[in-house]
Amino acid sequence: MSKTITISPTSRQEGHATLSLEVDDQGIVTTGRYYSITPVRGIEKMVIGKRPETAPVLVQRICGVCPVTHTLASVEAIDDSLKIDVPKTGKILREMCLNAHMINSHAIHQFLIAPDFVPEQDYTQVVKNVSEIRKQAQYVEDVIGGEGIHPSDIRIGGMAHNITKNTKNKIKTRITGLKGLLEKHVEQMAEYIEQKEFPDNLGNHAQPVLATSNTYGSRQNINLQSIQEIMPSSWYTDKYTEQENEEFAEETKKTAKKIGKTACSQIPLYEDTPVETGPRARADKFRKFKDRGVKAQHLARAQEMLNAADRILELVDKIDPSAQTMAKYNLNGTDRLGVGVIEGPRGTNLHTVKISPEGYITDYNAIVPTTWNIPTMGMATEGTHYEYAPDVIRAYDPCLSCATHMIVVDDESKEVLKEDMVQL
Amino acid sequence: MIQDSVLGPHKEIITARATDKKILNKSQDGGIITAILVYALEKNIIDGTIVAGDSQEAWKPEPIVATTKKEILKAAGTKYTMCPNLAMIKEATRRYGLEKIGTVGTPCQVMGLRKMQAYPMGLRNVMDKVALVTGIYCMENFPYDSLKAFIQDKAGTVPEKVTKMDISKGKLFIKTADNETAIPIKQTHGYEQSGCKYCMDYVAELSDFSCGSVGAKPGWSTVIKRTEKGTSIIDSAIEDGILEVTETNEGKFGLEMLRKLSTNKKKQRVKNVDKALTMGLEVPFTRSDLKEDILENR
Repeated sequence: MSKTITISPTSRQEGHATLSLEVDDQGIVTTGRYYSITPVRGIEKMVIGKRPETAPVLVQRICGVCPVTHTLASVEAIDDSLKIDVPKTGKILREMCLNAHMINSHAIHQFLIAPDFVPEQDYTQVVKNVSEIRKQAQYVEDVIGGEGIHPSDIRIGGMAHNITKNTKNKIKTRITGLKGLLEKHVEQMAEYIEQKEFPDNLGNHAQPVLATSNTYGSRQNINLQSIQEIMPSSWYTDKYTEQENEEFAEETKKTAKKIGKTACSQIPLYEDTPVETGPRARADKFRKFKDRGVKAQHLARAQEMLNAADRILELVDKIDPSAQTMAKYNLNGTDRLGVGVIEGPRGTNLHTVKISPEGYITDYNAIVPTTWNIPTMGMATEGTHYEYAPDVIRAYDPCLSCATHMIVVDDESKEVLKEDMVQL
Repeated sequence: MIQDSVLGPHKEIITARATDKKILNKSQDGGIITAILVYALEKNIIDGTIVAGDSQEAWKPEPIVATTKKEILKAAGTKYTMCPNLAMIKEATRRYGLEKIGTVGTPCQVMGLRKMQAYPMGLRNVMDKVALVTGIYCMENFPYDSLKAFIQDKAGTVPEKVTKMDISKGKLFIKTADNETAIPIKQTHGYEQSGCKYCMDYVAELSDFSCGSVGAKPGWSTVIKRTEKGTSIIDSAIEDGILEVTETNEGKFGLEMLRKLSTNKKKQRVKNVDKALTMGLEVPFTRSDLKEDILENR
């Protein structure tokens, strides 16, 4: 026997998604499909024909959870397309802002998973710690990025301005002070995660990891030729139905076809296979952390907060408050493909842009962390009881509004008119 | 708290001046604002302030974030033209990383600041960092071009040569190293900025404390203590010998004068407000017939 279990929408994540699981008699998931049902906003299309300065401002609106990441990926892509050499201090400030955001975003996720892990008697205190951590991290984002939510000072060519010596000292004092609390908090979270009773292999999958840098992002460490984006309709139908039990082949085929049409995201493959990206991927590649599965992901995320705090302290000393932070540049491009790669809290965020000789954007594309993770998340639910599937999903901290694409369907006949993804 | 439609809500009115000679030499009258800002900075009540600093052009102020005593002293003294201090307030909490901002403003700026506190649109993590709001008396203000017209056409000199400007006894004094011109205030009418026509506030009624020369003898200031915060900082500054107090003149050239000027301003402006509202213009004040007391600042 096999039956399909659908969880829709999945909870405690950003955006809306559905989890469709084929389970056997024991309730063990044989096929997991996770797909986004978040409506499309069309931001990638919106920036086309606009001046390059518009792009960072618009794309940071893709998501309110990680605007810093999108802004940075966007300006990095434009810098690359226009061959702008960002001054050293500008680069340092950008990286500090990202790391502060990393602490902030991971802290929010710990608040989201607290009901799963934190015992009731400690709950209030953990949430208080999360708030305090976020407050300090947001201060750093505010003073460097100009705004915690939609940073206005991260610009093409560098940063709108430097920080003063006074501010530099304040960041140093605050983050040094925060480290004590962070260490305590991370230790506490690690203990809760360790104590949680989960099946041993929960969230294990055989997919490779994708990470480009420990703390910032590097376009050298990713090969654009290896990236392939395929349509959800072919992914959810072709890839899976072959393995299904023949008896139910017809029915599962139908479900899969429906999912293929409903899913609002493209399926990116790196070197022909889905990958996992995010804190565990970075820890695996750059921090000698080889554990796998749900617990490992939570642990890697918690420890990454300390990693980010250390990086901020390391960078803050290198800031020269009187140095230039902006490069001079000319907006006229050469239609060169600019690539911006940023390691956001949820993984590798890739933006590409082309700018015409007249100085307008002619092409814009974003492959965001959760898009990478969507096919992998479905696979990771396989092999354990379906009751644990939402825990597997939560371990990826999915942020779906970034990852939304769509196809064009005729409203009356329900026929797919354009088998091409109209992009996010 | 004394509810007063002429001078705004206040606790007490005193006459005071700074004790520091360095401040008195540089400042307009009693040096209260400068002394208090420096005092607040030293006492860690504020960690920086936005002041009207110098720009490229003489007598054209520019908002500057000051975080040291030296910077505050450099900005002492009145400049009779607009300085958009509030424009820097967000910047002060960002690049300058301030967490306890002290502000100085004319009545309209103080009203603006209180409005920003009530409706913090686009001001995330900004307004909670305002620690002190000090106000100065203001009858009206001039755009920089008007000021230049007074200096060039009426005083026959250039802004660079002017050493001090002052309004007192109904005249605008323009002093250079070797000359002094007095322009009757009446002759400046028509040169003030248009917003001043509708302003119902003379003594920065919404500030923590406000001060100005009117009602005090030369070299002293009349200080109106308003909020708890404003009162406590003035009181402790007096206790610590930063300010000295003299007897307040309640008479014709003292508080009566202050009340008279405030009443005159309000009476005149309320007519303009009514006129503008009748014409259907947007003015952020209430019609006089809808107010219990026409002098009320609302």
